[in-house]
Parts: sequence; C-alpha cells; structure tokens
Amino acid sequence: MSAVTATIAEGEMDAALAKPTLRDEGARLGFRLTLPAQILVLFISAFPLLMQLYISVTDWSPLSGAGWWSAWEMWNSFANYTDLAADTRFWSALERTAIVMLVCVPAEFLLGLALATLFADDFPGKRIFYSILLMPMMVVPAVAGYMFFMLFQSGGPVNDILSRIIGTPVTIAWLSDPTLALIAVMIADIWQWTPLMFLILLAGLVGVPEDQMKAATLLGANAWQRFTTIVLPKMKTIIIIALAIRVIENFKIFDTLYIMTGGGPGVATETISVYIYKVTTQDLIWGYVAAIALAILIVLSIVAVYAMKRMAKVREVAA
Amino acid sequence: MKRSIPFEIFRYAAILAALAVTLVPILWMVSMAFKPIAEWSATGADLTWWPKNPTLSNFQFVFGESTNSLIVALDRTALKPIVSSLLSAVFGTAIAMSAGTAAAYGLSRFGAGQNLQLALIQLRLFPPMAVMIPVMIMWAFLNFNDTWWGLALIYGIVTLPFAFWLMKTFFDDMPREIEEAALVEGCSRLRVFTRITLPMMRAPLASAALFVFILNWSDYLIALLLTTREWVTIPVYMASLSSSMTGQLYGAKAALGLIAAVPPVIMGIAIQRHLVRGLTFGALKQ
Repeated sequence: MSAVTATIAEGEMDAALAKPTLRDEGARLGFRLTLPAQILVLFISAFPLLMQLYISVTDWSPLSGAGWWSAWEMWNSFANYTDLAADTRFWSALERTAIVMLVCVPAEFLLGLALATLFADDFPGKRIFYSILLMPMMVVPAVAGYMFFMLFQSGGPVNDILSRIIGTPVTIAWLSDPTLALIAVMIADIWQWTPLMFLILLAGLVGVPEDQMKAATLLGANAWQRFTTIVLPKMKTIIIIALAIRVIENFKIFDTLYIMTGGGPGVATETISVYIYKVTTQDLIWGYVAAIALAILIVLSIVAVYAMKRMAKVREVAA
Repeated sequence: MKRSIPFEIFRYAAILAALAVTLVPILWMVSMAFKPIAEWSATGADLTWWPKNPTLSNFQFVFGESTNSLIVALDRTALKPIVSSLLSAVFGTAIAMSAGTAAAYGLSRFGAGQNLQLALIQLRLFPPMAVMIPVMIMWAFLNFNDTWWGLALIYGIVTLPFAFWLMKTFFDDMPREIEEAALVEGCSRLRVFTRITLPMMRAPLASAALFVFILNWSDYLIALLLTTREWVTIPVYMASLSSSMTGQLYGAKAALGLIAAVPPVIMGIAIQRHLVRGLTFGALKQ
C-alpha cells in the first residue's frame, strides 16, 4: 500500500517538475535571485576597470583641478607604463613582497603542518588548545600590527626575553633597522597566519583514512614512510589550496605591516600595497597609480583563472 | 593509534611552546590596556609583564572621561569610531549576505549566473589597493566618502565572494526532498525559498553572517582610504592616537585594540566548525 502511494507521489512529482510553467518559473526566479550580485559585481568591475584604463594613459591627478572625465586633455601616450618599467622603487617593492612571501608562506606551512600532525589524534585538552591556537587569525590585523609594534619596541618584551636569556641587557631597535624591521614584520605575519595553515591542514589530515594507515603499519612502514607515501599524496590538493590562499593573501600584505613600520625605515619594508598606498595618498599621481594597478590586475587575473580551474577539479573529486 | 609516552611528552611540550608564542602578544596587549601611564613604556628592570597598579583609566581616557594625566585631551572619543565600525560592518554584512544568499540559491537550484563563480573568486584575488583609485573617484562622485554607508557598500561588495561561496556549498549540501514535496503541494518556487529553505538554513546563515562580519570588522585599508574624519573606524582611529607632543599613547591604543579584538575572536570561536569551509570558498569542508 505504502509502496503504491510512493510510486504515485513520485509520478506526480515528476509531472510537477516537468511542467513547463514551473521550469520557466525556476529560470526566471534564478535570474532574479542572481541579479543583485550581478549588479554589484558589474558595479565594481566593468565601470571601474574602464575608468582605470582611461586614467592610466593620462597625467591626471585629483589635484589637477579638472574632473577625471576630462583626463584625456592630459594624455601622455603611455608614459605611465614606460615609467613603470623603469621605476626602481616599484620593482624593489615587488621584490620585497616576493621575499616576504617566500619566507612567510613556507614557514607558515611547515609550522602549520607540524602542529596539525600533533593534533591528528585525540588527547586530553585537544579542544581547548585548538581553540587557543586559532586565535591569532581572528585578531583584527591592524590590532595584531599594533601588538607587534609594542613587542618590538627597544624597551619592549622581545628584548626583555632576549636579555633574560643572554644575561645582558639587549636594546635592539628592531623597527628602525632595515633588516630587523623586515624580519619583525615577517614574524608578525607568521604569528597571525600559521593558525590558518594549521586549521586547513588539520582538516585534510583528519580526512586521511585510518585503515590505510593501519595497513601500512602492519606492512612495517614507519611513521615517516606512512607520512610521505599515504598522508602527503592524500593531502595534495588541500596543500595546494592552503598554499594558494596564503600566497594570494600574503601578496596583499598591508595592515599589520603598515601599522608596525609604515613601510620604513626608509623603504625597507615597503611592499607593493604599501608602495601603491603611498603613491596614492602622498604623491597623488593617480594616473600612474592606475597604470600600476592595471598591470597587477592583469597578472593576477591569469593566476585567478588557473586557481579557479584547480578549485573546480578539487570540488569534482570531493563530490 | 596508541602513542608512546616519550611522544606524548614531546607533544605536550611542543603544544605548550606554541601556546606561549600564540598568547604572549595577546596578553601583552591585554596587560598594557590596564597599565597606568607610568608603566606604559617602562623598560629594563622596570618593565612590568603584568600591571602593578591595574587601572581602567585607559578605557576612561578613550571614552573621554579622563585625561589620564596627559597634557593632551582627545579632540574626540572612541565612541563614534566604534559606532562607525559597527554600522559599516553590520550593513556591509547585510548587503553581502542578502545578495550572496539569493545568488547562491539561484545558482545552486536553477543554474543561473554561472559567471558569478569565477567573477567572485577574481574579486577576492585582487588586492583592494589595486582597484581603489576608481572606487575613490566613484565614492567621491556619489558623496559616499567619509560616510558609514559608503563603507558598508564597499564592504558588502568585498565580502560578497565569501557570502556567496559559503551559502552555495550549504545549499548544495541541503537535501532537496522537502523543497520538492512543497513544490508538489503547489507552493511557488519563490515561496519555497523564502518560507521553507531559508528558515531551514537559519544556522548556516548565521555562521556565514558571522564569518562575513568578522571580515568586515577587520578591515583597515579600505577605511583608511575612504574615511577621513567623520566616520573613521576603530583601526583608523587607533592608528591616529598618537601625537608629537606625547608620543605613543600605548595604554589607550591597547585598550582600543582590545575592544576591537574581542568581538571577532568570540565570534570566530563560535563558528569554528565552518571556518575551513569559509576560508577555502567551500572547497573544503570540515
């Protein structure tokens, strides 16, 4: 009896779903539901990009007195782009951004992975330790920057700890030394974002099937062999995602760094975002800034398409 | 798997070291927030790890109730920046969540707006610094500069990718039987969405909203560029809290930093379960 009812219900449902009116209703509703997001995306992409492209071939600046639409009067025949190629401050900022990334992302990855392996199985206190270890990534980055600004003062706690270890008073002026300032900034970034690596890698580590690990143990594989032959291959896509996220975010590094050093001393910690910020707000040559921004956007778009394909593949595997 | 005792000792030692590194910067700020001015920049032997004479004067100072024995009085209190941070983050979250949830449902159920997937990832990828020139010009044109609603609008757009991707994976995971049954009962699809799906998704919606709120609340760069005086947010106000006359107002800034840091940490712990999903655009679930 119940089986029969179910069959009828299913038949009805198929009919209902197949009814052209309903399907059209779905298509129309889908269009309407996505419309606000489409408008917002268009609002922030199409028009701004065209405007950016337009301004980037002129000498326009907000101080020039004329509105941005009349920037064509200041047409400078792509001088901004040729200037950019010869702008040593831009290239050294880019290089510095790369250095920060090449130090911070691997450090965060290795520390995060090490922590994640410690948390792979249950032990007393796991939950509370886990929650505390995640805290840095939830601290407002500007506030984290201020924390480390205080820590690295010459009379601050970092030097205090060092002097207790060494036994003689240490008064290193961390943030006024070009090399040490860069190191301090990188320490702050590693402090704040290792938890993100830890969180994502642990999620991946937990997904590694236990029975395979047990089988490998029975076959005589030691911990390191199990790790390299079972765990790492299983976690490959997760590792790629985690690294991609940190590479993208680290490239934008601004808040903590700017609060700690303002890009200084001199230009010693001036990364690409800080450089653009300074040119925007101090030099006010917005035509030039537009050219820099567009150059970066084009490079990043190529990266985005690649990353997106990768993500789609991961989702297929997961599904 | 059974672990050996040396391993357990190593594990606890390593975790305790990590906890210490994690907590020292946070605790230093907490301690600083309760230190009287005399202890702010004490160095060497006088350096105090925990306030000797704990005081609330730093908090009273940023709210304008006490001058904290400083020569300078604040020209304005922290009250308005807090209101500004709250208004812009709340309304920014509202914009991102309503546009994102609707679009996620449209894509998840009706396959509408396929282009949004890539467009929104790209939106997240770009450094805000690289698109701010046109935004600053547009916002000036719209008279949105230095307003909380101008900030809310850009926050809503910047965090739209997270709202969209989070909600899309939640909708994808949701069993469709109930929706289909309601359709058979003769409900319109819009009614199914608003009366059945959304109420069922209350918990995921709340998690996604908290996640987006944390991101909006954490912004510094955008507010730095788009607000100048009237509606500066907490981080911008905090950075401006120093004067050439008195130098760094350590305690006052730490008090303000504490006020800014507490809400996202609590919310983050509350939605711990969904953090992985949120941070990886739904590519990973926990």
